[in-house]
Amino acid sequence: MNNTCYIYDDTFIQLLNLIYTLIKKQIKPGNIQNTFYTPTLLDEIIHLKITEGSEVITKIIQEMGAYTYRVIYYVFLSLEENKELIIYYLLLNGFKYKEQVLYHRNLKCVTKAITISRYVLHEIHKYKGFIRFKELDNHVLYAEIEPVNDILYFISHHFEHRLKQEYWIIKDVKRGILSIYNKKKYYLISENNFELSTLKLSNKELEMEKLWKTFYKTIGIETRKNERCRRNFMPKKYWKYMIEMENER
Amino acid sequence: MNLEEKLKILADSAKYDASCSSSGSTRKVSKGIGNVAFSGICHSFASDGRCISLLKILMTNCCIFDCKYCLNRKSNSIPRAIFTPQEICEITINFYRRNYIEGLFLSSGILKNPDYTMDLLIKTITLLRKKYHFGGYIHAKAIPGASEKKLRELGLLVDRLSANIELPTDHGLKLLAPNKNKTHVEKIMGYVKDNQTKHFVPAGQSTQMIIGATKETDFDIMSKSASLYQKYQLKRVFYSAYIPVNKDSLLPSLEKPPLKRENRLYQADWLLRFYHFNINDLLDEKNPNFNILIDPKADFALRHMDEFPKEINCCSYYDLLKIPGIGVKSAKRILSARRIFQLTFDDLKKMGVVLKRAKYFITCNGKYFMSPQFFQKEFIEKNLVLEEKLPSFGAHEQLRLFNE
Repeated sequence: MNNTCYIYDDTFIQLLNLIYTLIKKQIKPGNIQNTFYTPTLLDEIIHLKITEGSEVITKIIQEMGAYTYRVIYYVFLSLEENKELIIYYLLLNGFKYKEQVLYHRNLKCVTKAITISRYVLHEIHKYKGFIRFKELDNHVLYAEIEPVNDILYFISHHFEHRLKQEYWIIKDVKRGILSIYNKKKYYLISENNFELSTLKLSNKELEMEKLWKTFYKTIGIETRKNERCRRNFMPKKYWKYMIEMENER
Repeated sequence: MNLEEKLKILADSAKYDASCSSSGSTRKVSKGIGNVAFSGICHSFASDGRCISLLKILMTNCCIFDCKYCLNRKSNSIPRAIFTPQEICEITINFYRRNYIEGLFLSSGILKNPDYTMDLLIKTITLLRKKYHFGGYIHAKAIPGASEKKLRELGLLVDRLSANIELPTDHGLKLLAPNKNKTHVEKIMGYVKDNQTKHFVPAGQSTQMIIGATKETDFDIMSKSASLYQKYQLKRVFYSAYIPVNKDSLLPSLEKPPLKRENRLYQADWLLRFYHFNINDLLDEKNPNFNILIDPKADFALRHMDEFPKEINCCSYYDLLKIPGIGVKSAKRILSARRIFQLTFDDLKKMGVVLKRAKYFITCNGKYFMSPQFFQKEFIEKNLVLEEKLPSFGAHEQLRLFNE
């Protein structure tokens, strides 16, 4: 049995560098984990000395195309337990089959990677619609989200273009990361560096929320009521921060 | 009347319009608030399961027309209201900033005359675009009978401009909407089609038909939409199951809106637009209505059993699209994957093919999923009908062992 467990320092680039080194040295890892991993008794922990730098990304895009690279990144953002190994096998096959690698759906790593990346993309898309901002008394917009995958970067990117003349803050509650936008750029920072407890809602906020709830209630057609269809498109896990669902949660 | 009461009346009057899509626009926005997403974004889902992406309101529900099926007709005694342009802008901007909506859907009852109403719509949307610098999606309804000059002005401001045809036949329109004129609606469609650019109505136009208010067959309806798609290059035709809101001797008295029929029409609509089906493949004079028990594609397959089962590993793209349970995406995936390896039933499942429907109509490497003697119309039909009746997933609340 292969008990080797290679450790990388939690960043995407370091993971790619580690995997690239492993492939070049023709080492087959038993496991790849980040620094938060608590090893079991049988694990043989190895910290490999690896090159730094981002040349590996250029290499991957050249060999397998930008689309494959994106799929790999989405897999990295997911919560999947073995995502590092999936990326390892995907890259291993990628260097062999080049741009065709994603068509090899008979390989387990390919189907897995595609399924996971689709799930992450789906969540990003859903959150673009379901996220709700509240206006604070200093006109800053504030929103909380609780996504399964680490998608704050994509959400911020979306609102950087959409609400470019506003100050906004989006908080990933589960991970404790904030995205703060200052009309020019957004920054991702840890919640420990930012005091949020003094936030106060603007006096117009409740009035607007009430208007929205009225609209939401009115727009549904009673004779077409279809709870199953609604839950299908808008599962309950999104309801927590949605203002219009307050009374139904 | 305060803002909330107005919103309630004017959203209530607008809710029977089916269209709520926010996709297809490629308009570039450089400054101001908001942009458009090509894919469209749904921001919520109402209790009837329909998506809410736009703030769907009427500017006013006062109307000089007396269409029998419409809630806002002249002869109904309901509370009437009118929004000022400022009010509409304030609500839109405030909702948009909080990410409640993707944009505005503005329609209106007809005040005084069509051009006067168009002027009000233009004034409102100009204010929203120029003063509030709103860059989000706007879908406006063109008022039938408006002049080309007004259409031009409005079309330059919005992403989508549409006019509802409401009833598929002239006879039905004369009966239920005596003030409406079919040529007016088609004139708008023709004008939009001829002038569409990336600055004028960039997301194209759509229309809506009411299903079940008059005696049209599904064949009449589908022929009408096929000709509309062809003639005016519409993005969508929406079908709206008739909901009795008024009592009138000319209207049918329905217990429930014909939702299943609406569903079948949408399925057929997709077959026409994305699956290279012909209207005559689905319906004809002798067989003018869809089978309520089986979806149109499976129905087609069952009527053409001699063309099936198809071999997944060698049939053409168009043949793949004809197989029930295989959609456009999975057909493309099959094409790209089978160049590399021979597909089996397991591989198909991983690609998103709905095997519980597709398995009856395909072979993989010459193998049928069970003994070939079961490849019979009656057997397959029975199973497909059963499949549709079973709920695809169980009750929403998990069953509890004990009552609380």
